[in-house]
Amino acid sequence: MRVVVCVTQILDPEIPPSEFRLNAERTAAAEGIGQQVISIFDENALEVALQLRERMIEREQVEIVALTVGPSSSADVLRKALSLRADRAILISSEGGPSLDGFVVARLLAAAVGKLSPVDLVLCGRETGDWHGGQVGSFLAEALGWACVNFVSRIEVSEGGFLMRRQSDEGWEIVWAMRPAVATITNDEANVPRLPKVRDTMLAARAPIPVWTISELVGDAAELWGGSGRLRMRELVIPSTSKACEWIEGETVQEKAARLVRALQERRIL
Amino acid sequence: MRLILVVLPTPEIGRSEREAIGAARALATAFDGEVNVALIGPVAESIAAYRVGASLASEASANARTFLIAHPMLREYAPELYVSALEQLLAAVRPDVVLFPGRTIALEIAPRLAYRLGTAMVTDAIGLRAEDGAVVITKPVYGGKAHAVVVAPRPPVVVCVRPRAFDPIKEGIAEGGIRWIEVTLDPLLRRTRLLERIQEESATDTALEEARIIVSGGRGMGGPEGFQLLGELARWLGGAVGASRAACDAGWVPASWQIGQTGKKVAPDLYIAVGISGASQHVVGISGARCIVAINKDSRAPIFKVADLGIVEEYERVVPALIEEVKRLRGAERA
Ligand SMILES: Cc1cc2nc3c(=O)[nH]c(=O)nc-3n(C[C@H](O)[C@H](O)[C@H](O)COP(=O)(O)OP(=O)(O)OC[C@H]3O[C@@H](n4cnc5c(N)ncnc54)[C@H](O)[C@@H]3O)c2cc1C
Ligand SMILES: Nc1ncnc2c1ncn2[C@@H]1O[C@H](COP(=O)(O)O)[C@@H](O)[C@H]1O
Repeated sequence: MRVVVCVTQILDPEIPPSEFRLNAERTAAAEGIGQQVISIFDENALEVALQLRERMIEREQVEIVALTVGPSSSADVLRKALSLRADRAILISSEGGPSLDGFVVARLLAAAVGKLSPVDLVLCGRETGDWHGGQVGSFLAEALGWACVNFVSRIEVSEGGFLMRRQSDEGWEIVWAMRPAVATITNDEANVPRLPKVRDTMLAARAPIPVWTISELVGDAAELWGGSGRLRMRELVIPSTSKACEWIEGETVQEKAARLVRALQERRIL
Repeated sequence: MRLILVVLPTPEIGRSEREAIGAARALATAFDGEVNVALIGPVAESIAAYRVGASLASEASANARTFLIAHPMLREYAPELYVSALEQLLAAVRPDVVLFPGRTIALEIAPRLAYRLGTAMVTDAIGLRAEDGAVVITKPVYGGKAHAVVVAPRPPVVVCVRPRAFDPIKEGIAEGGIRWIEVTLDPLLRRTRLLERIQEESATDTALEEARIIVSGGRGMGGPEGFQLLGELARWLGGAVGASRAACDAGWVPASWQIGQTGKKVAPDLYIAVGISGASQHVVGISGARCIVAINKDSRAPIFKVADLGIVEEYERVVPALIEEVKRLRGAERA
């Protein structure tokens, strides 16, 4: 069984608002304000794939292939996947191609999945940690014509398909999906990403990473743009959020608690 | 005249659905537009529910219509069939803007529909306006550290509205025109099947999204026991208990309690954040809160930058004292 995990490189989402700055064009974060890291839900997706491989060990060989679409510097996220013991990693080079949006990425990923055929399962993050698009996984399923289940945190192989634990607004659902399938992955306590071993990180740093080009995958890059409505980026603005916090002080915790309740009463909240 | 269609694929019409219609109305006013509402599945078969939908539509704009898509195969939620039915509706109605509420089901259907229509789509919209026929959409990016303003130059465009970002429309009085839409569904399209539904417990009787008061815990709670304490405080306050992603990932509380960018969006009168550092991805889920109280042992925690009232203290010490204080207050109120 072959499982493809789509991974993305993003600006470290943990940098605090005080360090966040925009580029001169106000179209993206300024370069260099933080490290480039693997998007958080893609880590969860890798973890889901690794667990699936471990559970299947006696029954069937599971091959995990990590894919990313991006410039050559984004090979770092593939090395991260390899350090977690993905079996293979392929960079789809976006250099010289059209600017990336969800449609373009999904079409390139779909072509790559086709080239890797047969693929049984494709995992994406529920959304990236920078633009929060929340669409590539679903677009990809449409492009492939496959089953799609969103907000999944665990997957098991079952008769003719997969059993997926899917997050709903109230709790969870168990959904059966026909093979082949796409799942978009969300977090829960069962798919907290593991840490790579030092030795595997060293091996991954040296591993060769094959590069596939846009023309090799879809022919004419310009055609990728065809048909779909495009969004134009106007600008980014930084919202003003800072409030003046009123500190509740007191000699004892009882005093602090009483003052807090009083402050809330004065504000007509309690 | 532009057509704005609000699609509600959810089994009931709750606050998020009313907010989506509210967003549509605001846009329609600026757009010289008309708002229609589409109900699909069980909600379209329940007279009471579609009446509500229809009256909401007519409150949103005059001569609004309500489209009902009812089909035995849509009684149970199946994404493939819902997408197929909505594709047929959109082919017939040809709206310029398609709005969805920001619910799990909608976030699953909307991108697939957008792909089929070949249109641009945006999730998480917190602002919508019209400008010379183009739709200008604002959405938080970088975990809320910035807002992106994007333009859909030509319709149609598909937008999911972020919960608690728009004023909900109230129940209307008049009823809009109702149109039943016939769809042809192929059972062979089905590639998924719902086998089981597991409802997670909440700490109190109050639902998180409806609660007027929320007490929320993070990694600083150190374990599930701390949440017992928060539950007690929430019960005395008549509120609900929420959590940060870190607390959910630790398995201390169910994932459905998560608040933030990828959890629930809430707008209570009072939000008490306990042992939560205040990462932007958490704070973005509480931007609608009227008053934020932070309890954290670290005075430099970023949560204090967005808090109205702050207590620097270990929660183990101050939360029990707060429970006693609220008990006393409730006792006094009762007497
Ligand atoms: C794409 C994306 C989406 C995300 N979505 C969400 C989301 O929806 N919701 C969410 O919450 N997070 C989300 N996150 C994660 C977010 O970035 C933070 O990692 C997370 O919110 C941190 O949780 P925390 O504040 O509980 O933990 P920490 O950051 O570890 O903070 C713990 C706090 O507890 C305090 N503390 C410790 N002990 C005590 C004590 N005894 N008494 C009082 N205080 C104490 C500490 O001083 C500290 O400030 C998302 C991240 C990404 C990248
Ligand atoms: N450039 C990319 N390369 C590979 N996978 C991607 C890329 N962009 C998005 N994805 C996948 O799609 C998911 C959702 O992305 P988005 O819809 O952009 O929020 C990500 O978590 C990845 O799994």
